Amino acid sequence: MSFSIKENKTILFALAFIIIVGFWQPNVLMDGIQRGSMYAVIALPLALVLGILGVLNLAHGEFLTVGLYISYMFYNRFNLDPLLSIIPVSIILLVFGGLIYLLTVKRVIKEGHLNQLLLTFGISMILLEGVKMIWTTRPRNVFTDYAYASASIGEFSFGTYGLIYLLIAVLVLVFLQLFLKKTRLGQATFAVGQNPKGARIVGINVNLVYLFVFSISIAILGIVGGAMLPRTAIFPAVGSPYSLKSFALAAMAGLGNLNGILFAGIILGIGEAIINAIPGYSGWADLVFFGVLIIVILTRAFREAR
Amino acid sequence: MKKKLLVSMVLILFLTLTAASVQAQDPIKIGAVNPLGDITGRQSTQAMELAVEQINENGGLLGRKVELVVVDSELRPEKGAGAIDKLATIDKVDFFVGGMSSGVHMAQIPTLKKYKKITVWAGAASHQAENAVGKDADWYFHLHPWDYQQGASYGRGWTQIAEKYPDLKVGKVFLAYEEGAFGSDSYKAYEQMFESAEDGEGPFKDIMDEFKGASFKSAAAGGGEYRAMLRQAKEYNPDLFIWAGYDADAIPMLGQAREVGFEPSLYVGAPPGWPKNFDSNPLSDGVILYGMWAPALNKVSEPAKEFWDAYVGKYQEKPATYFAPLGYTNIMYLAKAIEDAGTIEKAELIKSLKTTKYESPLGSTLEMSPSNVIQNQGFTEQKILQYQDGEQQVVWPFDVSTAELKFPFSW
Repeated sequence: MSFSIKENKTILFALAFIIIVGFWQPNVLMDGIQRGSMYAVIALPLALVLGILGVLNLAHGEFLTVGLYISYMFYNRFNLDPLLSIIPVSIILLVFGGLIYLLTVKRVIKEGHLNQLLLTFGISMILLEGVKMIWTTRPRNVFTDYAYASASIGEFSFGTYGLIYLLIAVLVLVFLQLFLKKTRLGQATFAVGQNPKGARIVGINVNLVYLFVFSISIAILGIVGGAMLPRTAIFPAVGSPYSLKSFALAAMAGLGNLNGILFAGIILGIGEAIINAIPGYSGWADLVFFGVLIIVILTRAFREAR
Repeated sequence: MKKKLLVSMVLILFLTLTAASVQAQDPIKIGAVNPLGDITGRQSTQAMELAVEQINENGGLLGRKVELVVVDSELRPEKGAGAIDKLATIDKVDFFVGGMSSGVHMAQIPTLKKYKKITVWAGAASHQAENAVGKDADWYFHLHPWDYQQGASYGRGWTQIAEKYPDLKVGKVFLAYEEGAFGSDSYKAYEQMFESAEDGEGPFKDIMDEFKGASFKSAAAGGGEYRAMLRQAKEYNPDLFIWAGYDADAIPMLGQAREVGFEPSLYVGAPPGWPKNFDSNPLSDGVILYGMWAPALNKVSEPAKEFWDAYVGKYQEKPATYFAPLGYTNIMYLAKAIEDAGTIEKAELIKSLKTTKYESPLGSTLEMSPSNVIQNQGFTEQKILQYQDGEQQVVWPFDVSTAELKFPFSW
């Protein structure tokens, strides 16, 4: 892995920012890393679909909602710990994602972006209303002792559970890197992401790749759902706000830059935590989140124009 | 000629009597507007249907059956206003009942004023709705306490509780409020109460010494991160910690409070509803809430027990919020007033509604009195409740209390 001078500068600047925040308010740094990692791990599958299929999945957040509810169902019906439910939930969502792709997304993959957006928006509405019909609008929670455990380093005390998102994000990234570089299907996926027409000409089954990538991305949301359940109240619209934030992170990191999503997620998470920690200014958190995003995109556009 | 005239007169008399007889057999129609997709609205409607069923089983009202026509407001103002129009013009109901949400009700009030039918409204707490109804609407009867009445009752409650428990301090208050209109309005209300208390006035005049607030983004709006706000609260070290957010915030906020080691003496939640199975979550023990009713009232109130048994017997589920017994009260109060009046003629029934007293399943008697603006206001007080060992208990008013207050709050 090699970095350009420009990337090195960015990384050094970010590290300096993180160190300063860590000395100023270690709690803010920890909150930001945990929250930002969660944003990143949710954004990764959206970025994968956007990068390979070229489809912006507006139902992304609703698939996360479905994952949360299925995980809740395992907890409620079979007393299965949410972290253990990750395995069956991700398998169920893998199949569910595959079916959704074959029945709907596949039909518009060669259509314009507007049709794809309308389709995934329609799917999001159906999922949202379906969840309402089955589970009602009333929020549900699970209780696990470990979800709110804390640890101390000297006088600095912090919640530990949120670090699971960082762990999952790193594991997912490692898995994707290994998959893309070390397996034939992964290399085919990489090729399709680069040039689908060329990939088809050399005999790669592009549709199979699309099916696989879409299914895997929804399965990852099943993993995230199981991990989020112990600390999150679930209700039909719980996943919806994450669609926009995921898209923002994917845009900030740049198309196809999966590692950058974790990096961007943590920086934006810390930025949000800083705002939350300033009394009377917590309402500005979203403004800062999307403000930073706009500045990054404009800066990149300016650099590319030069 | 004379014979023809006589036959015509007999025929007219016969038709008139027949029509009157049919009219007498027509049901009394009550039009209800509730949000049916929401459990609160659904259960309130079920409780109304239960009340109507019981009334009809006992012979109806004035010898006529009672029919409840329900329209879903979907918690949307335009739907709520349209529902009133539909009930008045298509269903031709005699009375309006319902509903919930001040926002929806604000949109309904101009339509209600257009028809001026007798309206017995269960929900909506905003004083803005009261102002919109105005002082001249003698046909409008409102059951739920207005926001300022609720604030006053909390002040009375905490004053009396502080007198009863000398070891308990409630002077230092911290309000955590969600960033939206609901939370911001709550903050403004508490800020005003604190300013009044500083001037020696208002419901908190004898008890509130210090006040601070901090906002948070509700999980319902895509938030759910409360730790920064909770650390501010912990540093402030309040006697009374109150949060005004939504049901989705309840458990995560408690969990994160435990995570940061925040243990106020009193932990109060003031959301419009609570999440499913909140009472069975171990984190809920000791949490205080405000409400008009608790299941434990069954132990001290016969009407509360009768309602509970009938409701659970019919629907095989427990009422989740006070809107179920409030919906039941909504119908039963109107029915009692009709019986007392002996007619559904508007002027007579308004007189009757003004004087009728109904011992409700909410643990208090419903009777009308003027409030700040409107002529006919029903309940004026909320209760202070506490989750204890998985059950909601009434800790104030003391005359209907079902348990002693447990404090300090701890993990």
